[in-house]
Amino acid sequence: MDPFSAWLEGTRISTVMRDMTWLWPACESMHFIGLALLIGGAGYFDLRLLGFMRRVPMTAAKAFMPWAIAGFAMNFVTGTAFFVMAPHMYVPSAAWWAKVFFIIVAGMNAMFFETTLGTRVMLLGPNEDTPTSFKIVGAVSLFSWFAVLFFGRMLPYIGTGN
Amino acid sequence: MPALLHALQDSAFSAWVVGSDSIWAYPMILTMHTVGLGIVVGAAVVIDFRLLGVGPGIPLEEVRHVFPIFWLGFTINLVSGLMLFVSEAADKATQPVFLVKLLLVILGVIVTARIRRRVFGDGSPGVLVPSAARPLAMMSIALWAGAIVAGRLMAYLK
Repeated sequence: MDPFSAWLEGTRISTVMRDMTWLWPACESMHFIGLALLIGGAGYFDLRLLGFMRRVPMTAAKAFMPWAIAGFAMNFVTGTAFFVMAPHMYVPSAAWWAKVFFIIVAGMNAMFFETTLGTRVMLLGPNEDTPTSFKIVGAVSLFSWFAVLFFGRMLPYIGTGN
Repeated sequence: MPALLHALQDSAFSAWVVGSDSIWAYPMILTMHTVGLGIVVGAAVVIDFRLLGVGPGIPLEEVRHVFPIFWLGFTINLVSGLMLFVSEAADKATQPVFLVKLLLVILGVIVTARIRRRVFGDGSPGVLVPSAARPLAMMSIALWAGAIVAGRLMAYLK
């Protein structure tokens, strides 16, 4: 085991959490519910950015974003719990690093949209097609979140280094 | 019945799904099942939350376009779920938490189909959400959340 994982697994918090045998399955269940909130809420807005469902006003399509963010928050907390309980499953895993990479891509993509393109949302009339820049942001977001899901679920199977 | 289940579980297909070292066998089918989950429950969440008052600016009529996405996800999970079931048919058919999951999924589909008919059944829906839709939407959320938890617990409650 790598020294960092060995240290973290030896800490009191990691041991106490591991000793609660119900905690892991409980966090997994929450992680999957959070996933559905995130994919549903963000995916809906992404589809609108891609130019689908044009009769839905852009600003209205954003209504599910707080729920998507809540889903992400749930998964960040439960994901951190998994990491603290068993870091050796993640630190050497190529799938885990790929997952983290795509979380960062999705996050930066969303921040780029909010800080630069986001203000143009208001100017878009009803039934109007979305500009190419919106379509790119929507495609990157949709692809990244499914990549996060893919590498998360594939974690036990690829790039575990053994 | 048990003979059929064992025949399925002992088939060459099952041997490939469970026994193959390839990530294209069990891991990929399992991952597709999770992709489908995200699409099915994600679409259900959008429909249900809109009916419960989230995003009032979204014309009710436009929510109609979310149902095909729901059915796309459901098809992915029906196919991947059947593959996963066949490969362990005899074991899964007697696992109580699997039967609970199956029941919750069936009820979830029935409730979603009812929502489709109640709210969008005849012609274009009005501006206001029909009052009968709210309890159905709440039921739908509870059923899908329950199905997710039961599905996850299949790995623990053998």
